[in-house]
Amino acid sequence: MNQELYQYYIVDRAHRALRKPLGRDLGAEFASAGLCPEERMCRRFEIACAAETPAIMPFEKIVMRRSISALPDVFTEEEWETIKKDPYIHELGYVSNLSPNYEKIICKGLLAVYEESSKYQKRVIDALLGLCDRYRAEAEKQGREDLAEIFGRVPRQGARNFREALQFFRILHFFLWLEGNYHNTVGRFDQYMYPYFKQDMDAGIYTRETALELLEDFFVSFNKDSDLYVGVQQGDNGQSMVLGGLTPDGTDGFNLLSELCLEASCELKVIDPKINLRVSKNTPLWVYEKGTELTKAGLGFPQYSNDDVVIKGLERLGYDHEDAVNYVVAACWEFIIPGCGNDIPNISGVNFPLLVDRAIRAYLPTGGDFEGLIEETRKNIHAECERKIPLFKNVWFVPSHLMDLLRDGKKYNNFGFHGCGIASAADALAAVKTYVYDEKSVSAERLISALDANFENDPELLHLLRYEAPKMGCGKAVADDLGFWILDTFADALDGKTNDMGGIFRAGTGTAMNYLLHARKVGATADGRRAGEAYGTNFSPSLFAPVPGPLTDIESFTAHDLTRTMNGGPLTLEFDGSVFQNPDTIRKVAMLVKHFIDRGGHQLQLNTVDLDALKEAQKDPEGYRQLVVRIWGWSAYFVELDKEYQDHVMARQMYSV
Amino acid sequence: MKGLIFDIKEFALHDGGGIRDTVFFKGCPLRCVWCHNPEGLSRERELYIRKARCTNCGLCRTPCNHPDCAPFGRCLHICPQNLISVAGQEWECDALAEHLLRHKAIFDETGGGVTLSGGEPLLQADFCEALLLRLSGKVHVAIETSGYASEEHFWKVISKCDLVMMDLKLASPTAHKEFTGVNNDPILQNAKRLQKSGKEHLFRIPRIPSITDTEENLRALAEIAGESPVELLSYNTMAAAKYPNVGREFSRRIGKTGFEGDPTKFFQNAVCRK
Repeated sequence: MNQELYQYYIVDRAHRALRKPLGRDLGAEFASAGLCPEERMCRRFEIACAAETPAIMPFEKIVMRRSISALPDVFTEEEWETIKKDPYIHELGYVSNLSPNYEKIICKGLLAVYEESSKYQKRVIDALLGLCDRYRAEAEKQGREDLAEIFGRVPRQGARNFREALQFFRILHFFLWLEGNYHNTVGRFDQYMYPYFKQDMDAGIYTRETALELLEDFFVSFNKDSDLYVGVQQGDNGQSMVLGGLTPDGTDGFNLLSELCLEASCELKVIDPKINLRVSKNTPLWVYEKGTELTKAGLGFPQYSNDDVVIKGLERLGYDHEDAVNYVVAACWEFIIPGCGNDIPNISGVNFPLLVDRAIRAYLPTGGDFEGLIEETRKNIHAECERKIPLFKNVWFVPSHLMDLLRDGKKYNNFGFHGCGIASAADALAAVKTYVYDEKSVSAERLISALDANFENDPELLHLLRYEAPKMGCGKAVADDLGFWILDTFADALDGKTNDMGGIFRAGTGTAMNYLLHARKVGATADGRRAGEAYGTNFSPSLFAPVPGPLTDIESFTAHDLTRTMNGGPLTLEFDGSVFQNPDTIRKVAMLVKHFIDRGGHQLQLNTVDLDALKEAQKDPEGYRQLVVRIWGWSAYFVELDKEYQDHVMARQMYSV
Repeated sequence: MKGLIFDIKEFALHDGGGIRDTVFFKGCPLRCVWCHNPEGLSRERELYIRKARCTNCGLCRTPCNHPDCAPFGRCLHICPQNLISVAGQEWECDALAEHLLRHKAIFDETGGGVTLSGGEPLLQADFCEALLLRLSGKVHVAIETSGYASEEHFWKVISKCDLVMMDLKLASPTAHKEFTGVNNDPILQNAKRLQKSGKEHLFRIPRIPSITDTEENLRALAEIAGESPVELLSYNTMAAAKYPNVGREFSRRIGKTGFEGDPTKFFQNAVCRK
C-alpha cells in the first residue's frame, strides 16, 4: 500500500481543509438573469470548472480532487417551491442513482462525440477540457511527465492503456459529481476495464503487485471528495462497484481484475468504492472465500447478488436478456441497467407493518375468520399501491448535460417501490393467527387494548408476542409463508401498473432509511414491537426475533421464490469479528454464502461487527475515526453517523463463535 | 426416550469440519474451574437469568399460573427484556434427530454435520446412543467429550461417531482431582482405548494459565497423546460473565500467565488455536 497517499487522503484528510467555497449565490444570479434550467446547469459547470484549482501530490498516480467545496444550487429556494408544485421532484431533483456508460467514452474519447453533442454538451466538454488542460500544465510544472502525457491523451482521445483508462474514469466521475449529479455509481468496472488491464498485464507492464498498487491509488480517489457527496447520512454516496457476474456471451465474468479489486478494498479498508459481487450457482468456492476475506475487513461488503435469480426476475419484469445480464446495483442494492437504464428504483416505499396494523385493528373487532384478515390485508396493500402510483407523474429532473453524454438513451423507465418492514408485518400476522385464531388464547379486545396502550397494561402479552411468537427468520413456516405472501401480494398489486413514461412499477425487499422513518408512523404492533421501535434493515428478521442461527435465517428468507420482487433489498447477516479467525472459519462463512446463493437467495449482505468497539466509539469518537459499519445499503464511518443510525447497528441480531 | 439439552448452536465453527450444528447436553460430572459452559454443569433444568441487564423491575416475581413456571418460583413469560430462560430443554430423541437433519443439505455440501457437546454427552449415554442410531449414515457426527465415563458408556457412544474430540486436561492425578473434581484414571484409560480403536480422533488441551498450561503438564500430556493429533486451545475468561446467570461463582484460581513459547514443540502432531 502507498502509505503516504493513505496517510494524506484517508487519515489526515488534509486536502479537505484547503477547499474554498465558490462564494457565489448562483441560484439568485441565474434567477435574476431569467436563465433556463439547461443554461443554468451548463453555466454552473463552467463556473465550477474555472474555479477549480488543479492539485497534484507527488505520491499520487491518479489525480483530480475538488478544491471548491459544496456547489451552490442552480435554483433559489423560492424557485424550488414553484417547481415542486407541478412536476414530481424525486429527492433533490438532480439526476441520481444511474450507472453511466463510462466504457464508450473511455474507449473513444470526448472529441469523438463532440460533433454529435448538443450546444450545451459542447460547452460542458470545453469547460471540462479546460480544467484537464490546467491539470496537464500543473503536471508539467511539477515535472510529472507521466501525468502530462496522460492528460495529453485523455480525455480528448480514447485511453490506450490501463493507467490512462483509470485516469479517464476518474476524470469522468469527478466531473459527474461536479455537474451536481449524485449517487453516481461505478457499474461493472472489472468488465469494462478488463481489456486495458489484460493488455498491459500480457505486455508485462504490470506485475500482480504493481497492478494492485495502481488500483489502490485509484480506489483512494473515490474517497478524496466523498465528504461532499452526502446522502441521507455521510457515507451514503452511491459509489457502488459491481464485480463478476455473467457476461453477455454467457461466461462468468470474474477475472483477475475482479480479484485485485477485492484485494485492494481489503487492504485499504476504506468505505469507497462499495463492492458488490455478482455470483451464481456456478461460482466456485474460492471466489466466495475471496469475498469473505473482504467481509472480514469489516467494511460491510461485498454485497452479493445472485445472477440466477436476478436476471430471471428482471426478464420477468420485461428487461431484455442482454440488458438483464448486464445488471448492476444503484447506490445501495436496487438492480438497474447501465447505460440505457433510466429507472427510479427508490421512488417510494410501502410500509407493510402499518398496513397490517390497520387491517388488524379494523377487522378483528368484526369477529371474522383469519382468511378474512388476510383478505383485509391484501386489500390494504393493493389500495396503498394504487394510492401511491398516481403520485409519481410528470417526474422532472434538473437537466444534466455530461450525464446525458454518458447515457445510451432511456430504454427503461421503471419505478421501484421498497417493501419495508416485511418481517415485522409477517410476524404480526403470524402472531394473530397463532394466538387469536388457532390457539384462541388472546382475545381481539385484549390485543387491541394492549396495542393502544403500547403494551404497558399487559407485559405478559408483550412477552408472548415479542419473544415467544413465531417469527420470520426463525424457521417457523407460519411466519415465513406470510412474509412471502406479503411479497407476492405486493408484486400482484404493482403488476401491470404503468407510469406516464411507459415504465412499470417494481416491487422490492429493501427498506432504505425507512426502517426508522416508516417505523415512526405506526404505534405498537402485534409482533410485540413497541411504538417507535425500528424495523430490521431490508429483507431481514425483526430486531428481536429469536433467530436460532444463520442457517435457519437463510432457510427462512429463501423459503420461496424471490424472482417477483426484483427491485432489490438484501438479507443481512451480522457476524462478530471473532467468526473470521482463520482460513478455516473464513471458508465456512464462504460456504454459508454459497449455500444462500444455491438456495435461490437474491441478495445478501454480511457485516462484521465489533460491538465493544462500537460502544467505545460512541464514547470516544476521535479515537475511532476509521471504524466502519454498514447501514442499509452503504458503508460509513461509524462516528460520522447520527446516533439513531449508530444505535440501530448495535441492536441488530449478531452471530458469534 | 428424552434427553436434556441446553443449547443447539447453528454454524458452530470450532467443532469439526464443514458447517455444523452443535448440540449441548446438559450435565457434567466434572467441575473444571475454568468451565466455559456453567449452564451445562447441573443435570437439572435451572433458571438462567442474564443479570447484567436486569433492572430489578420485579415483574418476574408476580405470581402466575403458568405450569412451567411453578418449579422456579418466577414467571418465565413476562420479562420485558426476555432475560429469563430455563437452561435445559427436554427433547424426544426422534424430534431432536429430525431437527438436526433439517440442515442435512448444507452439512453434506460442506463436509459438515452434527457435533455432540456439553456438558458431557456421555452422561446421557443411552440417549446419545439412541440419537446416534437415528443420525448415523445420514450425517457426519462428531463428539466433544471429557472422556470421563465407564468403558461401556464410552464405547457404545464413541463407536457410533465419525470423529471424536476428547479433552486432555491434566496428566497428574492429584492436579486433575483438584481442578476438575474427578480422578483422571477413567479418562486416561478411555484415551488409550480411543487410540487403539483406529477411530478418527483429536485430543484437545485447554491452555489454562498456571493450571494446564505449564511445561510439566504439557510434556506429560504429550506423552499420553503420542502420535494422535492434538489441538491446543488458548483460553479467555469471557465465560466468567455467564456464572452469575446460573447462580455460580467463577473461580479465582486461574493465573495470568501460561507457558511462554511454542507449546506444540512437545507434541508429535499438534496445532494451536485461538
